[in-house]
Amino acid sequence: MRRFAYHEPATLEDASRLLTDLGDDAHVFAGGTDLLVEIRERLRRVSDVVNIKSIPGMSDITWDEATGLTFGALVTARQLETLRGVQETYPNFAEALRQLGSIQVRGRATVVGNICRASPSADTIPPLIADRAIIHIYSPRGMRRIPLAEFFTGPGRTVLARGEIATGIVVPPPARQSGRAYIKHGRRKAMELATVGVAVSLERDGDRCLEARIALGAVGPVVLRAAGAEAILKGADLTDETLARAGEAAMADCTPISNVRASADYRRNMVGVLTRRALRTAMEANA
Amino acid sequence: MNKLTRPLQNDFRIIGKSVKREDVIEKVTGEGTYVADLKPAGMLYGKIKRADVAHARIKRIDVSRALAYPGVKAVLTHGDVPRVLHYGSPHPRSASCTRDQYILDDRVRFWGEGVAAVAAISEEIADEALDLVEVEYEELPAVFTPEEAMKPGAPLIHDVGPGGNLVLDPVKVERGDVDKGFAEADFILEGEYSGGRPVPAYMEPNVCLADWDGAGKLTFWTSTQTSFMVRGILAEVLGLPVNKVRVLVDHMGGGFGAKQDCFQHEFLCALLARATRRPVRMEFTRRETFVAGRSRHPFKLWLKQGFRNEGTLTAREMKIVYDSGAYGSHTPGVTIVGTTSATSLYRCENVRLEGRGVYTNMPIAGAFRGYGVVQTYFALDIQMDEAAVRLGMDPAALKLKNAVRDGDIAPSGHAIIGRGLEACIQTGAARFDWSAVRTQNRRPDRARPHLRKGWGLGCEMHGSSAYPGIKEQGNALLKVNEDGSVTLMTGAAGLGTGAHTALAQIAAEELGVPFKSVSVVHGDTDAVPWDIGAFASHTTYLVGSATRMAAAEARLAILERAAEKLQTTAKRLTIFDGVIHPTDAPDQGLTVAEAMGPSKGIPAANILGRGTYEPTKSYSFAAHFVEVTVDTETGLVEVDRVLPVHDVGKVIHPIAAQGQIEGGIQQGIGHTLTEDYIVDPETGRSLNAGLVDYKMPLSMDMPDIDTVILEAAPDPGGPWGAKGVGEDPIIAIGPAIANAIFDAIGVRFRHYPITPEDVLNALANKEAHDAGA
Amino acid sequence: MKQIVELTLNGEPREMAAEGHRSLLDCLREELGLTGTKKGCDVGDCGACTVFVDGQPINACLMLAVEARGRTVETVEGLRPEGDVLHPLQEAFMRHGASQCGFCTPGILMMARKLLEENPDPTDAEIRFGLSGNICRCTGYTKIFDAVRSAARDIRQAGQQEATS
Repeated sequence: MRRFAYHEPATLEDASRLLTDLGDDAHVFAGGTDLLVEIRERLRRVSDVVNIKSIPGMSDITWDEATGLTFGALVTARQLETLRGVQETYPNFAEALRQLGSIQVRGRATVVGNICRASPSADTIPPLIADRAIIHIYSPRGMRRIPLAEFFTGPGRTVLARGEIATGIVVPPPARQSGRAYIKHGRRKAMELATVGVAVSLERDGDRCLEARIALGAVGPVVLRAAGAEAILKGADLTDETLARAGEAAMADCTPISNVRASADYRRNMVGVLTRRALRTAMEANA
Repeated sequence: MNKLTRPLQNDFRIIGKSVKREDVIEKVTGEGTYVADLKPAGMLYGKIKRADVAHARIKRIDVSRALAYPGVKAVLTHGDVPRVLHYGSPHPRSASCTRDQYILDDRVRFWGEGVAAVAAISEEIADEALDLVEVEYEELPAVFTPEEAMKPGAPLIHDVGPGGNLVLDPVKVERGDVDKGFAEADFILEGEYSGGRPVPAYMEPNVCLADWDGAGKLTFWTSTQTSFMVRGILAEVLGLPVNKVRVLVDHMGGGFGAKQDCFQHEFLCALLARATRRPVRMEFTRRETFVAGRSRHPFKLWLKQGFRNEGTLTAREMKIVYDSGAYGSHTPGVTIVGTTSATSLYRCENVRLEGRGVYTNMPIAGAFRGYGVVQTYFALDIQMDEAAVRLGMDPAALKLKNAVRDGDIAPSGHAIIGRGLEACIQTGAARFDWSAVRTQNRRPDRARPHLRKGWGLGCEMHGSSAYPGIKEQGNALLKVNEDGSVTLMTGAAGLGTGAHTALAQIAAEELGVPFKSVSVVHGDTDAVPWDIGAFASHTTYLVGSATRMAAAEARLAILERAAEKLQTTAKRLTIFDGVIHPTDAPDQGLTVAEAMGPSKGIPAANILGRGTYEPTKSYSFAAHFVEVTVDTETGLVEVDRVLPVHDVGKVIHPIAAQGQIEGGIQQGIGHTLTEDYIVDPETGRSLNAGLVDYKMPLSMDMPDIDTVILEAAPDPGGPWGAKGVGEDPIIAIGPAIANAIFDAIGVRFRHYPITPEDVLNALANKEAHDAGA
Repeated sequence: MKQIVELTLNGEPREMAAEGHRSLLDCLREELGLTGTKKGCDVGDCGACTVFVDGQPINACLMLAVEARGRTVETVEGLRPEGDVLHPLQEAFMRHGASQCGFCTPGILMMARKLLEENPDPTDAEIRFGLSGNICRCTGYTKIFDAVRSAARDIRQAGQQEATS
């Protein structure tokens, strides 16, 4: 259906009720940069769109040293991308934002929307998972919050029940000696969908790694943590050899598929190369 | 050349200068009218229902539910439309095209082929109504590669043509004694080369608007490069005299050759408008530009050449197979031009060539910038590079040595004029510092040892005009108005190349009037002289010559009129910058306006100059020097810089010529590294019919380009020696990149696109091979 | 059911009639007759439909017309400062051959305008990044970069002249 009914509720309660009552073909409409495309390309049946952009309380961006970065569901990628604070404190996230779609798309696309679309190749998800972000959810039964790492259940699928609406993200502050990086692999430099995305957050004590969190995108049904690679790095000295071994291990941590963008073998190869490179970048950065 | 025109001269006032393009002001203000911008009152929107099977018979098609859908005004299926076999591509009775299409058939031959058309009051309703058209298919066995299609017993896709799924009889060319040549060779190189499916991906999706008047005349706006051809084929198929069809196009958003065909949707749009008695506009979605547009011909080519140790050629044998897809479109022209192009570029007296165009149940391949020669010269130039490696010679030196030159017989059968290719290679090598760059910059980057740089050269030549395949004709009508202003009427299409500006420059230069006093009327087949269309890089060469002739005729008439007023003879007068004066008395004259205007006893004049030009062919040349960086860990290849050197005979508008070259390079980089329209080889279904997964180079991917234009080999067949330039860049850049990659990592690729996976696999194989050696 | 949407369009109050599902792009083109903004893909992949909404460049195809209520929308038709005068970018595009078929031009002009407003002296890399969401298939981008650089210079010089006059 190219035509659909349009709703603009004023509160979360109204939005939630609409989504519940209108059924499976009613969808949240925030930035629309995925939803409208799916309608035009006939990838999704949509009978109703529920525009949540008039609902107050979801457009703020705040930072404090205790909580970290908090932003609401209506905050766009472009807003976050252009904040010096985000660029300096979360360069991995900033890098991912810079590569999402295009500037025009980022002027509308919300980060929470990118997350809820739950594409395994979404750019914002790996860095947020690597930085242990929490997602806040409104449900008719009350607010809840869960680690972003537990939010996804499969490609395009999340734990959100009908009538639930994600309202915001909190990203904890970085540890004192830490570095972070995000590398998106693509065949051209913009307007790309990641064939592989690697986000690394590294906490260190001098040249020794205290903890590494490596999140891999586009190489599994959801964004994966490279547990094997992380185990190698934990407590280890950050030498070239360790990095190389971690890269190798990350290759075994992922389950890529072959499609028109790349073969599974190539993707696995790139996980190895890019994990190593991302670790190096994260090492050379500082908290 | 018409003897009214003045001989070659050196001091030009207007040509050779990048004058302000008049058509561009409308483009930068957004005021220019493209077909999709038109919305006449009562307009309906047309949409096409497309098959989701690659090869099938339509057993049953039921449109009753679609017709009953609120807002739908008409639905057409194969039973409702004229059953006339047509050429698809409208080149009239020429060797270029195939007569194998019905508007709608009871058979489907490729996934996505149109099976019905709907007109409704909104685009959304038309789109929704498509789902209500019920089609029952009887699937037929399909063939998805030329090899499968050519096997004995393969299912036949068409009932016309030579049979065996061939679009045309094999093209065979033989010169000299090839077997003797091979016997005399010091060494022989042999290889297989192949290419995927790039598409033109013009930014303006195909669109047309049809409107019939009460007297049965069709007005048809369409984004096309060939409005007179569209007129002719619409008239033929709809059973109308040509003067009852008026085709219009104002601004057009790119074509690159692929908007030469008369597409299925254009017929259907006209028929929906006739059925509903309302204007109907039909606009392709971006997806449809892939599925139902025209791609380049995928190809497989086998090339064997004999060389002497001093680097010259003794023999060349080539076999090429082009994948035509489900319909013939331009396959005959592409096969002929592509195959015969291999008689040239690098000199060889003994040549045996064979070219085939084959039907498959794949998307339709058609005319696209380069027209079969992108494929053959990719192979020819790369193999010459291979010979250079084998001989331990500099590839530029070897290509220079073998470069076609003055007097050699070109693929058209005429003699080449001048030494344009040599000039391109020499100029480029010097400017690029080719020898130094290749020997001095070999040290790997210690900070990033996985990166390898390489330098490569690719050469090409291409003809302006479709001669001898099509006997072309360029026409121009030029009016000098009573106030001295000039109106040039041309049927030449304006697809964005700046052709109309170049024609106005030519007219102004020949007439001797300021550029600003010439305006151009185009785009209405009722009002302008017949034109074959903008393709084959021939507008400047062909229509430019006709324009020059028309201007020359008008100039003479102006001089005769002025002579009468000045009481002298025309022979003693000249026109300079809009002023007519005796050649020996520049301050005694009158303006063109004064000459044209009324004076005692003589009414105002209205002078008409006419030009008709039937060309042969001119050849343009190019040499592209490129620098690439290969990331040996990811396989990604970046093109860092390109130095394209082009000989165009005489440049009319330098910036427009550069623009053609730079745009062609963007397309060629895409062809060679990232662009491929991929179809599922099991089902024929398209897998990447969109602009993200069909990857064109964007702003951040483009190299620095240092464009050099030479006037090394003017061709007297063109205005002041001008030749074409539109297709040359896309032919030279591909082999240049492939050769540069070899230079960087020692791996020889003989196909495009060269993907990162290809690079990594080849590097791994090379490592294994070197280790084992 | 069409709604009336009131907005400020190129500096003037306007209203358009739009059903809930219609895109801003389609309404600008078909309801208001502002056909300068082009439809290249309708799915946000090409940038040909770039307009400003409340000063932000976005793809008009991915915004619903009804969302424009009460907002400020700017299109290429509003780019020229007045009457016969063209914006320096428009002049530069003509001068440098940055427009061939012209279909991508309105979208690129809008992005370039935004780029120069935020960054009056951009580097080559910044120009490329700023235009990375717009596809051009004719020019190879080279002359677009030239034109943007040239316009940036013109705007800076005009600014200096104004300041000193």
